[in-house]
Formats: sequence, C-alpha cells, structure tokens
Amino acid sequence: MEITIIRKQENIIHFLAEGLDVAFANALRRTMLTRLPAMAIDEVLVLENTSVMYDEMLAHRMGLIPLVTDLESYNLPEECDCEGKGCSLCQCTLTLEKQAGDEEEMVYSRDLSSQDPKIVPALGEIPLVKLAPKQRLIFEAYARLGKGVENAKFQPVSTVSYKYVPIIEVNKDKCNQCGDCVKVCPKNILLVEGDTIATQNTLDCSLCEACVEVCEPGAITIDSKKNSFLFKVESTGALTPEVIVEKSAEIFKERIRLALDYANSI
Amino acid sequence: MIIPVRCFTCGKVVADKYDQFKREIRQGEDPATVLDNLGLNRYCCRRMLLAHIDIIDSFMAFATIPQTEGT
Ligand code: SF4
Ligand code: SF4
Ligand SMILES: [Zn+2]
Ligand SMILES: [Zn+2]
Repeated sequence: MEITIIRKQENIIHFLAEGLDVAFANALRRTMLTRLPAMAIDEVLVLENTSVMYDEMLAHRMGLIPLVTDLESYNLPEECDCEGKGCSLCQCTLTLEKQAGDEEEMVYSRDLSSQDPKIVPALGEIPLVKLAPKQRLIFEAYARLGKGVENAKFQPVSTVSYKYVPIIEVNKDKCNQCGDCVKVCPKNILLVEGDTIATQNTLDCSLCEACVEVCEPGAITIDSKKNSFLFKVESTGALTPEVIVEKSAEIFKERIRLALDYANSI
Repeated sequence: MIIPVRCFTCGKVVADKYDQFKREIRQGEDPATVLDNLGLNRYCCRRMLLAHIDIIDSFMAFATIPQTEGT
C-alpha cells in the first residue's frame, strides 16, 4: 500500500492510498472510527447545579467535548493494573466551578480545569450552559480512554470517508463543444479551452455522471481507477490526523495478525 | 434548548461555531457563505445551525435564584 498526502489542514487530511481493495480500505476506515482509543468524560459528579439544565443533560454535553488525548501516558481502563477501578494511569479528573454574578453568564468548555495539563478540551469555545444571575455550577468530571465501539463520544474522528479516484475522459472527435457539460458539473471540473473541453481539479469530481447524461454525442466517459482510494480523515481535535492514520494502521495490523493466528490454530 | 455540542449525524463539533454564526447572520451576511467560512461543508452539520432555536433564555425567565446565606 502506498500513501500520498494530497492536502493537509489543521484537523483534516486528504490522502491517496494505492494498491488496496475496497474491503481493506473500509476496514481501515472502520478501525479509525471504532478501534482507536481517545479520551472523553465518562462520569460526572454534580455537586451543585442550580442552572436551568438538568444534571443528565449537562453530563451528556460534557461527554461530547473532545479532549486532547495523550495515548502514551494513559491506559485503557480494561488493560490497566487497577482492573478498571480507576487510577491516575487510566483516569483524569476535570473540575468546573462557576457562579454567575449579577449578569447572566455562559459557561464554556474552557472553564474546565484539568488535573493533567495535557488533557484539556480540544476546543475551548463550546458553550455548555447559560447561567442566570447568581446560579451556580460545581462539578467534578472523570475522563478516561475509550473506543468508538463502546460509545461514539470516544471517536477521535468526526468523519472518515473514501472515494474512488475519478478518471474523466473527453473524446475530442465526438465532442461538438456545446458546453452543456461545463454548465451542469456541480464541481466545476470541466471548462472550455479553445476548441476542446479541458479538466481541472479532477480529484474533486464526485463521479455523479451528470456530465455524461447531458452529453448528447456521448463524448464524456467517467471511470474510476482500480485499487486506489482518496481518503479524507477529519479529526475532532482529540488526536492529530497523522496520529489517527498511523495508530489505526498499527491497530489494524495487530487485528489482522490475531485473526490469522486464530485461523491457523483451527 | 441550547445548541447541541456535535452534529447528530457525523459528530463534528458545531456548538463552538454558533455564536459567530448568529453574529454574522444578524449583520446580514448570507447564511450559506457564513457556513462555508465556518468549515461546515456537509449538509448534516449545516442544518444543525440553520435549524436551531435557542430557548434557554425562555427557560431562564423562570429560573429560581438559589438562596444564599444571610438572605
Ligand atoms: S462526474 Fe459529475 S463532478 Fe465529475 S466531471 Fe462529471 S459532472 Fe463534474
Ligand atoms: S456536453 Fe459533450 S459534446 Fe457538449 S461540450 Fe461537453 S463533451 Fe462536448
Ligand atoms: Zn487504572
Ligand atoms: Zn455533520
């Protein structure tokens, strides 16, 4: 398998993977979604909550905050020496204490203070609840590592998608330069250039085939490359996209090894 | 009640973008451009902000103010 990085933004990575089939590509995608651990708040101890929001709803909102995860210094609770009871190696405590003054006040995720300076909300601007004057909120939250199979809040990615690599071909002999395909393409891939139809940003093509349908002489063909996939990995901020791809590949390899061992033992 | 933290469908965090969205819409910007600039490209995430109605302020009108000592 060969990987070429096409575009990288802060939390999103686009890459081209070659030499793999659909089953493999999808297994990699699902590993990123469900098998890669990330931190999330799992238990909340509400000491005081006089806000208009129920404790349960507040706890639910806390759980959804992506936390910057340090995979090296934390264990999965089920693999920890404490046998899942919760210790400093598998749990991190975050606290929040806030009282509104004479004005109403919004509580944001950045108001959470963490016991471990590395485990902090990845996004500080998430509104949690609005407090009316004098209302008070005190709670303790316990974050731990978990996997997407257990609960989607542990997913380090918001979306992982892949698509086929498009190949757009215009047959010059058949084309009559009517320009219909240029108008109909939702991604602005096609353009008139001199007396032919040229293509640009072909990787953005969604393979919708609208251009094929509208082309009366049948000059356009849309095809996809065999065994190549364009991946898009969008992180929630818990882990960087590079780490997500790297770690998932490791986990995936290990799972394949386990499956092979099992198959060989029968 | 209050803007959901994440998109129901894909799980992208949308709550932190709501304040800016509301502000720019109030200034008369086109919602489509604002959403594009916020990086909400999928329609699942876009509807989260577009279809949201904040009602926490109405709830707060009935808020009970906690008794503090000495009052
Ligand atoms: S398949 Fe769709 S996106 Fe691709 S070039 Fe044709 S009209 Fe454009
Ligand atoms: S629709 Fe077909 S014939 Fe018309 S410009 Fe496009 S490729 Fe050429
Ligand atoms: Zn432990
Ligand atoms: Zn979404």
